[in-house]
Amino acid sequence: MMHNGGEHITSVIFGLDPTWLAVSILLVVYALIMMERFNRAVLSLLGAGLMILCGVLTQQQALAGVDFNTIGLLTGMMVIVAISQKTGMFQYVAIKAAKSVKGSPWGILVMLSVVTAVFSAFLDNVTTVLLIAPVTLLITDALGVRPYPYLFAQILASNIGGTATLIGDPPNIMIGSAANLSFYDFLVNLTPITPVIFAVILLAIWFMFGRDLHASDEHKALVMRFDENEAIKNVPLLKKCLSVLFLVIAGFTVAHSFHLEPASIAMFGAAVLLLLQTLGQPLHEKDHAYEGIMAEVEWTTIFFFVGLFIVVTGVEHTGVIEMLANKTLELTGGDFNATAAAILWVSAIASALIDNIPFVATMIPLIHSMAPTFGGPEALVPLWWALALGACLGGNGSLIGASANLIVAGFAQRAGHPIMFLVFMKHAFGLMLLSIVISHLYLYFRYLS
Amino acid sequence: MLVKTVMVTKAVTAHQDEPVAVVLDRMRESGLRMIPVINADRNVVGVISTYTVLEKVVPSYIVSGDLHQISYAPDMGILRRNYDEIAGIKASEIMDEKPLTVHQDESLLSVTAAMITYTKHEYAVVIDEQHHLLGIVSAGDILDRLKRKAQGGDDA
Repeated sequence: MMHNGGEHITSVIFGLDPTWLAVSILLVVYALIMMERFNRAVLSLLGAGLMILCGVLTQQQALAGVDFNTIGLLTGMMVIVAISQKTGMFQYVAIKAAKSVKGSPWGILVMLSVVTAVFSAFLDNVTTVLLIAPVTLLITDALGVRPYPYLFAQILASNIGGTATLIGDPPNIMIGSAANLSFYDFLVNLTPITPVIFAVILLAIWFMFGRDLHASDEHKALVMRFDENEAIKNVPLLKKCLSVLFLVIAGFTVAHSFHLEPASIAMFGAAVLLLLQTLGQPLHEKDHAYEGIMAEVEWTTIFFFVGLFIVVTGVEHTGVIEMLANKTLELTGGDFNATAAAILWVSAIASALIDNIPFVATMIPLIHSMAPTFGGPEALVPLWWALALGACLGGNGSLIGASANLIVAGFAQRAGHPIMFLVFMKHAFGLMLLSIVISHLYLYFRYLS
Repeated sequence: MLVKTVMVTKAVTAHQDEPVAVVLDRMRESGLRMIPVINADRNVVGVISTYTVLEKVVPSYIVSGDLHQISYAPDMGILRRNYDEIAGIKASEIMDEKPLTVHQDESLLSVTAAMITYTKHEYAVVIDEQHHLLGIVSAGDILDRLKRKAQGGDDA
C-alpha cells in the first residue's frame, strides 16, 4: 500500500493542485460524516467518485486502494452472524449466565458484561449489543433494578472485548490486513491485556454503581424462573452454526501458516453455512432464505469502507500522508517510544469523538510511511498495537465513540431510561483514560522499555 | 360510492384530556375497538384503538422485535405494571396522532385502498377541511353496504 509523491497524477481537473484537491475532498467528507446529517456510506462513495472524476486517481488505482481483505472478512462474518442469531444461542447464553449467579444483581452485571465482551471479541460489536441489550432490559425488568449500570457496563465491555482479537472490531481488521498481522499475532499481543483492562474497569464500575445494586428475593426468584432451553428453537441449525463458527475461528488462528488471508476463511465459512442452513429445503424456499440472509448483511457499512479506502488512497497518492508522518516524527524527535505513546493517546482521544474507522484508515498509511525511519516494516509492529488499543478503547470515551454505544443508547431510550450524552461521558471518559493508561504501561513494559 | 353514504355520523368520541382507563370503559360499553380523540373545538387530534393501548403495555424492547421470541421468560407481571402506569394518563399521551383521515367526498375505492395499503387499520376518520369530526368509516360498514347492494338493496 506504499505510494510515492504525486508522480501518478497526470491530469487533475481545471489544473488545480492535486494535493489541495484531494485533501479538501477528504476533509469535507470527514466533516460531513461527523455532522451525521447524511448517510456515511453515501458520503464516502461521493468522495471516492470525486477522487476519480477530478483526476486524482484512475479507476484502476482507486480499486487497487480498496482493501478487499477487510471487505471480505466483514461480509463473511456478517453472513455467519445473520444466520447464527436466529438460533437463539445468544439469548440462551445470556440467560444461563444470569442464572449462574443465582439472580444476584451485581453478579448478573458481571456475567452479562463477560458475555458481551466474549461475543464482541469474535463477532461484530453492534451485533453483539443488538442481541444482548434487549435481554438485559428484560432481565433488569424482572430484577426490578434500573438498567443504566448494566447497559453502561455492556457498552464498555463490547469495546474492550472487541479490542482483543483481529476480528473483534473494524479497526483491528483494517490494521491486521494492512500490516499483515495474523489472528494469532493479535491473540499473542492484544488478547492478554484485555482481561486486565476489563477487570479494572469492572472494579471501577463496582465502586460507581455495583455496591448500590439490590434486589429482593422475590425478584431474584423471578430471574431463576427464566427457561434458557426455550430460547433454542432450532437445534439442527444451532449445531451447524456452532460447527462453522468453531471451524472459522480455528481457521483464523492457523491461517497464516498456510498463507491464507482471514477474508478467504470467513467467506468460505459463510458459503458453507449458507449451504448447510438450507440443506434439504425445496428450491424456492432456499432462494427465499438466501435473499433474506443477504439482505441482513450491512451493505451500508461495506460500501462505506469501499468509499473510504478510495478517499484515503487519493490523499495518499498526493504524498500528504507521508508529509504528515514526517511532521509527526519531527514532533516526537524520531523517538520510537514517544511516537508509540503519541499514536496511542491521539487515537484514543480522536476515537472517543469521531468515527474510529476513517481515523484508522488515515493512520494506516501514515504509520506505514514511518518504516524507513525506524528500520523497516518489521520494527513498526508495536505502533500497530498502539493504534489498535487507542482506536478500539477510545470508543468508550463518549456515547458517539462507537456504533455499539449508540445502539445501546437507542434501546435505553425506547425503554424509557435514556442514556444522556454528558452523563455517559462523565462516567465513561475517565474509565476510558484509565484503560489507555493500562495500555500505555503494557506497551511500555512489553515492547518499548 | 362515496364515503358520506357509508360513514357513521354519530361517532362516539374521547376527549384528549380524559384518562386512558375512562376511554377504554367507553369503548367497551359502545363495543368499539377504535375511538377518535378530539379537542375542545371538536377537531380530531388522534385516535385510540385497543391495539394502540396494548402496544404501550408491551415493553419497547419486545416490540422492537430484536428478541426474536421470548417464550423463555416467565410471566413477570410486566404487562399489569405497565397497564397500571398508563391507565391514569391522558388519552392524548398515548393516542395515535396520525390516524387514517379521509374526506366525505372521497370514493370508497380510494378509502379501502388506503386502509389496506398504508395503515392496516379497520377504520378511517372522516373530517372536513377544518379537521372537524364528521364521522367514521369502518371496514365492517363498507362490507355491509356491499352486501346490501349485492342483495339488490338501495344504491348510492
